[in-house]
This record gives sequence, structure tokens and C-alpha cells, in this order.
Amino acid sequence: MNTIRTGCTLAHSRIWPALCVLLLAGLSACTSTTIDEFRQAETGISNDETVVILGRRQGAGYETAADFVQCVGDRMGRGRDALSVVPEQQFVDALFPWFEPRTAPLRSDDLQQLMAQPMVSEKMSQFGIRYIVWLDGQTETTNRMGSISCTVGPGGGGCFGFGSWEDDSSFEARIWDVSSHTAVGTISADANGQSYMPAVFVPIPLLARVEANACNSLADQLKLFVQGG
Amino acid sequence: MIGSINPVRVLTMMMLATLCACAASTVEVSGSYPSPTIQRIPLTLGVYYSDALRNYTYTERSQTGDDEYYVESGQTHMELFNTVLPAMFENVVLLDDPAQADAMGVDAIFMPSIDEFQLGMPQKTRLEAYEVWVKYNMRLTGTDGSYIADWVMTAYGNATVGGLSTAESGINDAAVAALRDLASNFSISFTAVPDVRDWLARRT
Repeated sequence: MNTIRTGCTLAHSRIWPALCVLLLAGLSACTSTTIDEFRQAETGISNDETVVILGRRQGAGYETAADFVQCVGDRMGRGRDALSVVPEQQFVDALFPWFEPRTAPLRSDDLQQLMAQPMVSEKMSQFGIRYIVWLDGQTETTNRMGSISCTVGPGGGGCFGFGSWEDDSSFEARIWDVSSHTAVGTISADANGQSYMPAVFVPIPLLARVEANACNSLADQLKLFVQGG
Repeated sequence: MIGSINPVRVLTMMMLATLCACAASTVEVSGSYPSPTIQRIPLTLGVYYSDALRNYTYTERSQTGDDEYYVESGQTHMELFNTVLPAMFENVVLLDDPAQADAMGVDAIFMPSIDEFQLGMPQKTRLEAYEVWVKYNMRLTGTDGSYIADWVMTAYGNATVGGLSTAESGINDAAVAALRDLASNFSISFTAVPDVRDWLARRT
């Protein structure tokens, strides 16, 4: 198992007045991200093969957000070693009803049964799917503190106060190899960060880009993983 | 300028605005449903949509008992079945009356109906989602009305509360998700319903 940690990143890097630099230095929204990788088998992908990223939506408590799934897919499809990623909705519609929340395969053994159906394996071949990546997780906001009050009067308006909260993203990606019908690995991404919102006349959001960092780190690691890196 | 304002007109407008604010909203559910990727059954199915299904409207009431939302889903249910059934059967014939079945040469008549519809609104459930539950009764009969199968199905769908989305769009999205859930479950489990399975074993 490999663990990769990324350090604190400033959410706002362009700050002009020196006073603001001093003021904001203590308040900068930081994010820390931890990536864990567990490899079960060798991987690799050729130019004519594709990947599909799907969100797990079987849980009663939460559903993996579609925009996070899209973020990971978009990131994997960009850059120097870009992969060909099939959009989630296009894939799920084309293979309807086999990848719906109630019917989607939960284990790689179920994939083997599913692929035994000629119409399903034919669609998979049309898309050139080599890997199915199941994303499961969510972002939770905790420790909300402070308050901001705003007033509007005849002479103008303004806000005063301070608020802060913590975001915690926890996602897991399980990678299935469609050619061998087996699970080839798991990558998990945990990111957390504190956001601040001071308000002196105007609220100034200093947001920790927790989910975006989790998305970027997970996508980069997934890209390396399927390429066999 | 102020002198030209007609106080009666202003009062009427205010009363109308108040009435509009209190009036129940109508949500006509609309969505698109994919065609299932499944093996077709080599039979001709007749489909009969009753008036109760065609005009199905659920009324959501507020905590004070006033009508709050009318959710019209009859049309979209028919669109759903008209998409799903042709992917499941070799031929599908829409029947205006079950009595036409013999003349149309169908093997069986399928009659779906809605038994129960429930709507979960975020302000009542304290959840960050609109939720829809639907309970269906599915009936399959012979061309003479004889019993083949009769079974219950449930469907569930939800839609997360969005920053700028309206309650109407949330209800619509949750209902479409529930119908999609019905379509997936129906198309996969149809041949596993014991009475349907026995009938198919005799026919195919």
C-alpha cells in the first residue's frame, strides 16, 4: 500500500496590499490530502481502450455526487497522459438497466455474470471499456462556528462578523478490469480543510478547496494506476 | 403620477397576488427514459392504460391541510412504459379497450396501475432532498381477461436540494428518478415473477 500526502495549499495566492497579506496569512484556508493506494493486480491501458467512472448510489445515508464523478473523469481526460473517459450518464443510459442504483453490480464477481449477457458485453466492447472505476464517498461540513450579521439602511449597508467551518472529503475508488472481470485495486482520498469567512462591511470568503483537491489528487493517482505506473 | 393610481386596481392586484401565492402549484412530471438493453421476449403484448393511470395526479397537502402541489404523472408513466415495453417484447400493441385484444392478435394484456404515491418534501422530512415513493400494481391477463399474473412493485427516487433550483424541479427530478427505478426493476425482474415465469414457460 502506498500513501501520498500533499501539504497545505493557499486558496488565494494573489493578494495585493501588504496589510491584507499580514491579515490573511493567519487565516488562509488550507487543505491537506492523503491518498492511499492498494494494488491487487498489474494494470495497463492501450490507446483504443477507455475508462468509465461511476458513482456508487446504493447507500441510504448518502449518494456519491455526480459532479464529483464528473470532476474526476474530466481531470483524467486532460493533460499529457490523458485517458479516454466515457461520461457516466452516457454509459449508464446505454447500459440501462444494469448500472442503476438498485441493479448495479456490487462485487467484481457480479460483473462476470453481467458480462455473460451478450447485449451487455457487446455494448461494453462498443465503448471500448477496459476499466470501471467505482467512486464512493462524500464531503461533510462540520464544526460551524461564528456568526455574521448584515444590515441595510438608508445610508448603505454592510456585514460584520466571522464564520468558520471544516470540510472533510472522503472518497474511495475501486477499479475493476473488464477484460479479466476482477478487482485490480483501490485508491482512497481523504482531504480536509478549514474555511473562514471574515466580514468587515463585505464578507471575504477564504475557502478551502477540499473536494476539488480530493478530486484532483484522486484523478491523478487513478490515471497513474490504470497506466500501470 | 401618484394621483393617477387607482386604489381599487391596486387592491385587486394585491388580492390577486395573495391568492396566487396561496394557490397550489402544478408539477407535470416530464423526463426521458432510456430503452433497456435486454433480450426481447418473442411474444406480442397488448398494453392497456386505464383512465386512472392516464390522469393520475397526486395532491401534496401542507401541514394546515391546504393543497400545496398537484403532481401529474400519468403522461410520463405512459411514455415510460412505451419506451420500456418495446425493448422487452417482440411486438407491443396499445389497446384503447382490453376487449380489442383478441382482434389485435396479442398474447397477453398488460395493465399497470398506481396504488400509492408519496412525496417527501425537505421542509417536512428535514432531509436535503425531495423524495418520491410509488407503489404499483401490475396485472397480466389473457385476451379473455383470465388471470396470468398480478404483482406489486415499488419505486423510489430522490433529488438533492439545489441552491437555485425550485421545489417544482426538485419534485420533477425525484419523480423521474423513481420512474427510472421502476423501469430498471421492472425490465429485469419481469421474467422472474413466478406466475409470469410459468406462463412464459408454456408460451415460448
